[in-house]
Amino acid sequence: MEPKHCFLGFLIGAFLTSGGEAQPAHESLKPQRVQFQSRNFHNVLHWQPGRASSNNDSIYFVQYKMYGQKEWKNKEECWGIQELFCDLTNETSDLQEPYYGRVMMASAGSYSGWTITRRFTPWWATNIGPPVVNVTQHNRSLLIILHAPDLPYRHQKGTNVTVENYYDLVYRVFLINNSLQKMQEQNIYEGAGRVVAIGALTPHSGYCVVAEIYQPMLGRSSPRSDEQCVKIP
Amino acid sequence: MAALQKSVSSSFMGTLAAGCLLLLALWAQEGASVPVTSNCWLDRSQFQQPYIINRTFMLAEEASFADNNTDVRLIGDKLWQGIHGKRKCYLMKQVLNFTLEEVLFPYSDRFQPYMQDVVHFLARLSSQLNQCHIKDDDQHIQKNVQKLKDTVKMLGESGEIKAIGEVYLLFTALKDACT
Repeated sequence: MEPKHCFLGFLIGAFLTSGGEAQPAHESLKPQRVQFQSRNFHNVLHWQPGRASSNNDSIYFVQYKMYGQKEWKNKEECWGIQELFCDLTNETSDLQEPYYGRVMMASAGSYSGWTITRRFTPWWATNIGPPVVNVTQHNRSLLIILHAPDLPYRHQKGTNVTVENYYDLVYRVFLINNSLQKMQEQNIYEGAGRVVAIGALTPHSGYCVVAEIYQPMLGRSSPRSDEQCVKIP
Repeated sequence: MAALQKSVSSSFMGTLAAGCLLLLALWAQEGASVPVTSNCWLDRSQFQQPYIINRTFMLAEEASFADNNTDVRLIGDKLWQGIHGKRKCYLMKQVLNFTLEEVLFPYSDRFQPYMQDVVHFLARLSSQLNQCHIKDDDQHIQKNVQKLKDTVKMLGESGEIKAIGEVYLLFTALKDACT
């Protein structure tokens, strides 16, 4: 953080602790559309400049807390930044808990009030991306290897729960037989395992494999992966 | 021979006495671990249905939009401070019944269509917990529940909205405490 921002941060902190709140005059400076966007449990706060703010020289301050806590915490990495987003993945890592974030702008000596997000529960709000599928062929059988998208838990050390179990995700694998007149799709696997083997496929026919991630508790599916196609000799 | 017999019988008596003592000790221990709660239990599968999970969350979300008080939380760590095991389920039963009777029933014409499904679901859980009792002193539990009730009452309508906004937290807490 630059010294200028530090000083501004201090002023704002002093202003806040003195009990000040958003003044009507500054309403038009307040950041707009402050919201969490969550993909694969990476929870990023996004916002837009206020209606009356000139983009140059505007800096933003981000705070967060869990619902029910009295104190807001400063997000140090997003304290006096020019970007319009802030990664709060680590601060919102308890998936089932409700969180709030808020953003304030400062520009040329004036500051806006805080704009607060809606209540945000990562487990509910996140969008899971498709898995990556690798298919290897041995004669008439296929070995399908599934990879979950990049989820934050993967980077935690010293834990022995699989990423799939931690987030309560299962893979769904579909096999499409291209040789049939009517394209036929078959759900050949649903589970948390990453390796699926299928054998005894019909010779001289073409197959495609596609997968998705399913959240059983929510009854939700991710978009589908790219199709991986093979020809059985 | 008689002496031998005597010694055998005395050692037998000794063993018997020791056995009795052991039994007494076991019985006493058993007595101490007799469950103080009964029937405080819900089937886990009820909490694994996507339809009702979604409905409960949607209801909570709708109400939470109208709840501007981010500092006060009804269902959280403070509610079950110092309460463990099935006693926690008994506590949640009290919270559930209060939420149903004092909050959800009076608001049952709002937040549709979610409200209807959620009330139906929670009322069923409530009836399943009907026989959930506690045998010893529940003063501590009642105190914690009373604090929650007082908070809702104190906040008035916004307290009731808050309680609806926490209906998903209620769902999770019931699942954790009673299954």
